[in-house]
Amino acid sequence: MENSRRDFLRRTCALVAGVSVSPFAANGTTDTETEQAIKYAIIHDETKCIGCNACAEACRETNHVPEGVSRLSIEKTGPYGEYPNQYYHFTRHSCEHCEDAPCVNVCPTGAAYIDKKTGIVSVKADKCVGCQYCLLACPYDIRFINPVTKAADKCDFCQETNLKQGKQPACVEVCPTNALVFGNLKDPNSLLVSTLKTNATQRNKQDLGTRPKLFRITAKPGEISI
Amino acid sequence: MSRINWLLMLSASVLSLALMSQQAYCNDSTEQINNDSCMKCHKRNGKMQGHHALDELNLSCSSCHGEKGNHPKKPNDLMVFSADSDLAVATQNNACLTCHIPKKLADTEWTHNVHAEKVACSACHQLHPQADRIMTLTTKQRSDECQRCHSVQR
Repeated sequence: MENSRRDFLRRTCALVAGVSVSPFAANGTTDTETEQAIKYAIIHDETKCIGCNACAEACRETNHVPEGVSRLSIEKTGPYGEYPNQYYHFTRHSCEHCEDAPCVNVCPTGAAYIDKKTGIVSVKADKCVGCQYCLLACPYDIRFINPVTKAADKCDFCQETNLKQGKQPACVEVCPTNALVFGNLKDPNSLLVSTLKTNATQRNKQDLGTRPKLFRITAKPGEISI
Repeated sequence: MSRINWLLMLSASVLSLALMSQQAYCNDSTEQINNDSCMKCHKRNGKMQGHHALDELNLSCSSCHGEKGNHPKKPNDLMVFSADSDLAVATQNNACLTCHIPKKLADTEWTHNVHAEKVACSACHQLHPQADRIMTLTTKQRSDECQRCHSVQR
């Protein structure tokens, strides 16, 4: 009698332990699998950029960004050098899709999120209350309140528009000089990875530990003013 | 009633007179540049309708195109501003830079700076027509304009 009671207790304990551990084990494997699959990133080759603003226009059109705000802009500095041999520098100003995104960390409602499948930092407009914490938290100062939806808005690599249709983001598609390269960091055969391997690239404010995914192939340095 | 009729007729005649004078103005321009002797032959393609026709600028055809010299015999020293012109870009642009200052051009439009040595002004600007298309581009048309030259094969 005592023996069977001990057996019963032992078996029950084993069962409970097994049941409680199994979901963790299962979750763990699927998480790593999905995270491994896709991690989108973009390269802006500033040596190829001509400052035509086609990307900014295409972005506005594709994502229906209202006038007065923008998800993507090209900042121009210069002119450098003496006339008539002058040149400008063009820098892309848009979401850098940080892996450790401050905007997501501060969002009180969970509207700002990182898509687990693609690594895209995005906003659920219906969850956003417009508190603007994320606007302040973003070290790259790229977020804005969309005057139509009244929610925080930013570049999402066209995940609701072009990516859904199996196309490249609008800015990448339209660039006349192929200065933009978009792709999957996890795919060793992608143009993105091979471009990263063969070029020296920089990322903005890397010291903050945000791990941004907008890579810059920087143009030749400007003149030094003393 | 007759008074109203009279007023109506008067206003109609004034209007038609005004229209006629307008017509006359268009046909026979009063601008000095369009009464240049060149216009005797170049009636169709020579007329200056744009901003450069202003009398205040005191321009003649030769101000830009150079002195007549041998013309219409060839070879001559007349300057032709177009994409298929034999003239060097610098030679073409120097004609414009006689009056236009690079610094001012750069302040109004940054692209002047980067194209100064490579592209002729006439590649983008048209002086003879009434309106220069490049001055009234939308942002979309503007980037299309860049892509006319700056595009690579995919």
